[in-house]
Amino acid sequence: MPTVRVAINRAQAALATLTARGEAIDDEWQYVTDLEAAWRARLEEVAAARGGESLAPEAESAVDRLTAEAASIEDPHRAIDWMSTLPQAVLLALGEPA
Amino acid sequence: MRFQDAARDARAVVYAGIQADPVVAAIGGLLAEASTAQRLLARAVMNGTTSEAADWRTMFPTLFGEAADGDGRARSEAILRASLDVAGRGEQARSQYRGAIVEALTAVLLGRRVPPATVHRERRILFDGVRAEIHPYDVTVELPDRAEAYDCKWGARGINDEVLLQLESANGNAQAEERRLLAALVVFDARRSCRVRLARLRPFPGVRLVGLESLDALGRAKAAAAVTT
Repeated sequence: MPTVRVAINRAQAALATLTARGEAIDDEWQYVTDLEAAWRARLEEVAAARGGESLAPEAESAVDRLTAEAASIEDPHRAIDWMSTLPQAVLLALGEPA
Repeated sequence: MRFQDAARDARAVVYAGIQADPVVAAIGGLLAEASTAQRLLARAVMNGTTSEAADWRTMFPTLFGEAADGDGRARSEAILRASLDVAGRGEQARSQYRGAIVEALTAVLLGRRVPPATVHRERRILFDGVRAEIHPYDVTVELPDRAEAYDCKWGARGINDEVLLQLESANGNAQAEERRLLAALVVFDARRSCRVRLARLRPFPGVRLVGLESLDALGRAKAAAAVTT
């Protein structure tokens, strides 16, 4: 049975992919780095508190599809925008505030 | 302190056409009634790649799943349809539409608190003895005894020193004339991301920030009861 920890790990991996794409914009390197750190920390908070919980099927499907959507984003500008959107949407699917 | 319509240069004429597109007013109205989660859906779809509505429903189970109530689900469906419409207009167009949508949403929310006729778009603010700013403010509230000036951004990345300085200057110039002016930045993005952006900029204490989670504050009695930058 997948857990919240597994979902968070997948979200963090997708966030890392978006970060790598966003870093292509030289002027935004610092922002991209800071943004990843902030959202990674927020996701980690949830994993620390609820990591062992089983994941509801609809939440699992949501995280699957959200990470697939993130992986499909190639444009670095759009990737930076999704660095904020992805964690918010994952947290929402897990019933957590942003 | 007085207000003036922005100059109608070529960019402004093109942008005015986008602002006048019925889809902008439609989404602005839908988002004004929306929850934070529904606003996040709009943000995701209008910056996403997937054009399949079913995929988005899967990504947002709390809005479309069994737990969603009838009215909420109907609004989510309407937001999804309208957002996919904008997303399908191509990269350059969608960027312009997103900005216009945040402005329209801001105007609708402000119109809940002040007479709608006092809410204006694309206005410059003039002060005696001060050279006028080139860029207009996206949305203003112009009341006899006080005013409000808003710049609207789709994402936290749009926050920069130049935008904040213009708002801060307007606030300072109004104070010099002993007039009341609230200056704020409306950002259609999570407060956490806005804080990340602001952390590397110098503070602008005269500028308020209204993030995705606090948009409804625009329509309540204490305007922009949000974060001071």
